[in-house]
Amino acid sequence: MGLDIEAIRADFPILNRVLPNGKKLVYFDNAATSQKPQVVIDAMSRYYEEYNSNAHRANHTLADEATTALEEARSKISRYFGTTPENMIYTSGATEAINLVAYGWARYNLQRDDVVVVTEMEHHADIVPWQELNKEKGIEVRYVPINSRTFTLDMEAFEVALEGAKLVCVVHTSNVLGIRNPVEEIIQKSQAIGARVLLDCAQGAPHERLFFDNMGADFVAISAHKMAGPTGIGCILVKSDAMAEMGPFMTGGSMIRTVSTEGTTFQEGHAMFETGTPRIAEAIGWGAAVGWLSQFDMKEVHAHIHDISSWTADQMLEIPGIRVFGDPNHPNSSGAVSFLHDSIQSQDLAILLDEGGFAVRTGHHCAQPLMDALGVPSTNRASFWIYNTLDEAQAFVEHLRYVCERFA
Amino acid sequence: MAVRGWPEHLDSVVEEFEDCFDSMERYELLFEYAKKHPSPLPADEWDEDNQVHGCQSRAHVVCTLDQSGNFLMRAGADAQIVQGLMSVTAMAVNGMRPNEVSQLSPDYADAMGIRNSLTPSRANGFMNMFERVRSEAERMV
Repeated sequence: MGLDIEAIRADFPILNRVLPNGKKLVYFDNAATSQKPQVVIDAMSRYYEEYNSNAHRANHTLADEATTALEEARSKISRYFGTTPENMIYTSGATEAINLVAYGWARYNLQRDDVVVVTEMEHHADIVPWQELNKEKGIEVRYVPINSRTFTLDMEAFEVALEGAKLVCVVHTSNVLGIRNPVEEIIQKSQAIGARVLLDCAQGAPHERLFFDNMGADFVAISAHKMAGPTGIGCILVKSDAMAEMGPFMTGGSMIRTVSTEGTTFQEGHAMFETGTPRIAEAIGWGAAVGWLSQFDMKEVHAHIHDISSWTADQMLEIPGIRVFGDPNHPNSSGAVSFLHDSIQSQDLAILLDEGGFAVRTGHHCAQPLMDALGVPSTNRASFWIYNTLDEAQAFVEHLRYVCERFA
Repeated sequence: MAVRGWPEHLDSVVEEFEDCFDSMERYELLFEYAKKHPSPLPADEWDEDNQVHGCQSRAHVVCTLDQSGNFLMRAGADAQIVQGLMSVTAMAVNGMRPNEVSQLSPDYADAMGIRNSLTPSRANGFMNMFERVRSEAERMV
């Protein structure tokens, strides 16, 4: 049974938005953040309207309802990702999740000259924490290059970089190129030499079903807002033995067992890393989002998105002056199409596309080392998700062609 | 009747934009103005000191006095829309006395129908560029 895209679109009120210039919104900036279905908006509103209260702190009715909802959301979300609540730590998003690995695991377990392998394809969130640890602890950071012809990771260089590594940090799916990396091979080869593996799945989670307990990765970082959930929440999924090696990252309320003037003892497990008032509404919203996503076969979702992105990329390449980065026709590509025009600057092009109602991203996409590898300062990026249609893509290509003919 | 906040010699430029049929025509005109910038700043003179921060694209401005003591703004950007706005701004301020530039209003961008159709960050970029010019003029007074 195929996806009923019209029914899916009906779940997203924002897709009916008309922009100030009278154009109907066509939202192609999904890799930056997805739109939210009504069930997510309702779940968060209901919390604030009916049982807003702090969680894990009081015995009154509202506190009990808020605590129950927070923990039910953790159960739903962890189940969606194929693991248990004990292996999931709420964070503000994938960025904090990666920082938690850097400062809650690596800082406690890595010594001077220990090797962390990252790739040129990483988001800054998976580069800067390791550079900071290099300054703080003297760890060595090795970068795996991309093949500039195929836009894929240079796996021969990966194997060289892997030698003696203690931690391997790889983006599951590139936010710029839409390319899914061979994470199974990376996990297998890394673990064969005893290295732990961190996967940045901020872009992967919205495009395929992840089953953490079967993946083999030690850490998986996820953001809710790219998969129909609210901003401000995400998680790190952590294997139990890796979590046992972690120490406190941020300290304060909630993560303590006892505090006295003599010192502090900490909670164990995920509670040690969830400091302060939890993101209650956000967790409830994310729980609603995974409930909404659970009705779909993500392989069908991927196929739908892939059809749109590969068609769009093919059509864009027919427009004189347009270059496409990545390989949108590859079956694993996940719906981000980065492109540039050879004479219309990317910011100008984005504004001219916006005039037609088309929301695309412009810039370095928080991936400047990748931009350096591609030899460009920035790209335009159209990124598609479950509610986008081929009709929208056709209108986009038509407007892009018009802009290029008029302004080049 | 509203008081005009820009120098009289910019009237014809503002009118040209006001007469545009739609926003795409306005942008097209802005691209044309980018090409006829009266005092462009070549890319090899772009540096950290003359960079205008807050623009999504690269933008650089250098303000000096010409031999007659009049204001001269040289500017360059990698985006044509920003370059066009710089071009119109240079047309407005070049040749004015610094004290006149320091009191200039950015109303011309609104009247041209440009500031409203820019994204907030782009509009901020314009305002940053404009404020840079105005503050340099204040410094010269």
